Amino acid sequence: MGVKTLLKSGIVLDLYFFKNNRSAFVSMLIWPYLTLGLILGMGAMFGSAQAFRQNVGLPVNPLTYFVASTLAMMVSLDVMWGVGGSVLHHRWIGTLPYVLLSPNRTSVTLVFTYVPRYLMTAAIQLAEFAPLVLAVEGLSVGTLKLGVMALAATVGMLPLLGFAALFASFLLSIKEESNVLSFLNPLILLFSGAFYPAYLLPRWAQLISAILPSTYTIELARVAALIGSPELRRVTLLIGALVAMTALYNSASGLVIEAGERRAMREGAI
Amino acid sequence: MSEAAISVRDLEKRYTTYLRRGMFRRERRVVEALKGVSFEVRRGEVFGLLGPNGAGKTTTVKILCTLLLPDGGRASVLGYDVVEQAPDVRRRIGVSLTVEKGFFWKLTGRENLTYFGMLYGMDGRRLRERVEEVLGLVGLTDLGVEDKLYEEYSLGMKARLSIARALLTDPDVLILDEPTLGLDPPSARTLRELLVRIAHDEGKTVLVTTHNMFEAEIVCDRVAIINQGRIIALDAVEALKRRVSDRVSLEIVVTPPAHVRVDGLLARVRGEVDSPADAFPENGTVRLKIVQPPERVEETTSRVLSLLHSMRCGIRRVEVSEPTLEDVFVQLTGRTGF
Repeated sequence: MGVKTLLKSGIVLDLYFFKNNRSAFVSMLIWPYLTLGLILGMGAMFGSAQAFRQNVGLPVNPLTYFVASTLAMMVSLDVMWGVGGSVLHHRWIGTLPYVLLSPNRTSVTLVFTYVPRYLMTAAIQLAEFAPLVLAVEGLSVGTLKLGVMALAATVGMLPLLGFAALFASFLLSIKEESNVLSFLNPLILLFSGAFYPAYLLPRWAQLISAILPSTYTIELARVAALIGSPELRRVTLLIGALVAMTALYNSASGLVIEAGERRAMREGAI
Repeated sequence: MSEAAISVRDLEKRYTTYLRRGMFRRERRVVEALKGVSFEVRRGEVFGLLGPNGAGKTTTVKILCTLLLPDGGRASVLGYDVVEQAPDVRRRIGVSLTVEKGFFWKLTGRENLTYFGMLYGMDGRRLRERVEEVLGLVGLTDLGVEDKLYEEYSLGMKARLSIARALLTDPDVLILDEPTLGLDPPSARTLRELLVRIAHDEGKTVLVTTHNMFEAEIVCDRVAIINQGRIIALDAVEALKRRVSDRVSLEIVVTPPAHVRVDGLLARVRGEVDSPADAFPENGTVRLKIVQPPERVEETTSRVLSLLHSMRCGIRRVEVSEPTLEDVFVQLTGRTGF
C-alpha cells in the first residue's frame, strides 16, 4: 500500500476532525499567540528590548527572535505528541489494534498519517506569525527570515519524526498508559535550549543536547532571527546536522519500532 | 490450500503479571491463559468460542488476529501462519475486538469508516461505494445515523459500526470478540440476526467469541467450549445438546439476602445436590441451574428449596425444561466452578 494513501488518510482525518470540532481549530489558531505572548511577557519582566540586544550581543529584534524560538519549540513538541503520543492516544480510544492491523509497517503508518497535520500546523503558525515578522523586519528581510523559519520547520521535522517514532516504540512495548510525554517534553525542550541557550547548560546536559534533533531545529529557527550577522554561516552546518540525524533516527526507528511491536505482541500489551 | 479456514493446534500462551506488594516490591506471577488449545473452523461456517470470562477466548482471538504471539503451538488463517505470515493473515481478516470503543469520537460513522478504509489501502470510488455498502449491510443507513458523530452513538450502533469496519475490506474471515457484550437485549438480538445474515448472505467464515450460551445456540453452526485455557467440548450445537438429552434442567431464580455471595450460595447448592450446578447473577437475582436425570427432579427441587428457605433467599421462579446449550455448559463445567 502506498505512502500516498496514508498521507491522504492523515489529511482526511484532520479535515473531518476540525470540521466537527471547530473549537479545537480555534484553539489551534490561538495557541501560538498565547505561547509567544507568555514568552514575551515573561521576557519583559526581566528587561527591555534594548537590554535583550545587549545581552545577545547582536542587533537582533527580540520579537523576531522569540517568534523563531516559539515556532521551533511548538513544532518540536507537536512532532513528539503527533507521532510519539499517537500510540497513547490510539490506546486510550481503542484504535491501536486496528492501526496495527493495517497492512503497512507500524512506524510508516504512525509517521505518514501524521505528516499532513504537522505541515498544516507549521504552515498555519508561520502564517500567523508572518504579519508580526514583516511588520518589525520590513518586507524583504522579513520574507527572508520567514523563509529560513519555514526551512527550519520543514528540515527540522525529518529527524524529529524518527526520534518521535523511537519514543513511540517505547510506549508501544510498555503496558503503562500513563502519559510519560507530559513530563518528558519539558525536559526535551530544556535540553534542546528552548529556555536557555544550550551552551549555557552544564557539560553533561550539553551531551544530551547534542543528540536531540530539536536542539538543531530550535537553533536553526533562531538563526533566522540573526540573518545579516556572521551567524548566518551556521545555517549550512545546522542543516547538515539535521540531515545526518534524519538518516540516523529514521533508520533506527524503523528497526526499533518493529522490535517494540514484537515485544508488545509477546507480552500482550496491545 | 487448506480445507479449514482457521486451524489452531496445541496453542499455548502464558502471561507474566506483577502484583504490587508495597512501594518497591512486586511479585511475579505467570498465568497460563491457553494450555494446548486445538480446533478448526471450516470455510463458510459460523464457529463459536464459548466460555466464561478469563477462559482464554480473547487470547485465542488476539493470536489469530496476529496481535499476540503464542508461546507454543501453531495457528493459521486460510493456510497462512499467524506468526510467520502475519501480513498475509491481516490482509484476509476483518476484526472486531471491542464494541464500546475503537473509533474516533469526533468523527461520524461514515467518516470513521472512510479513514480506516484508507488506512487499509482503499481509496477513491471503490472506498466510497464500499463504505455505503457496509453502512447499509449493518443497518446504520436504515437508522439514519451514518452521519452522526460516534460520540452520540448508542452501544448498539457502536457494535454495528465495529462490524461494518470488519467487513470494509470484504475479508473472507471475520473474527469477532464478544460482539454483543454490554448490549441491551433488543440490540443484542438485532446484532445476532445481523451476524447470521452476513455470514450466510456474504459467505463469510465467522469466528465469534461469547460467554452467552443463548447467543451461541442461535448464531453458531459449531461451538467449542473453552474453560481455564482448555477446549472441553467441540461439536455442532445440536450434537452438544444431545449430550444432555437424557437430562432435564432445573432452573430456580432467587433473590438472595445482601450478605449472601453468589459463590457462597453456589457452594451450598453444590453441597446439597449430586448433579452439576451453576449460578448466573442477573439484575439483582441469581439464576441457579441444575442439570440432572428426570427421575431426580422432585427430590432435588425439594432439597434445594429447603436450603434456599433456610438461607432466607426469596424464590422468584422454579422451572423444569428441556436441555439447552447452557445445560451442556453446566454439565461440563458445573463441577469445577469458575
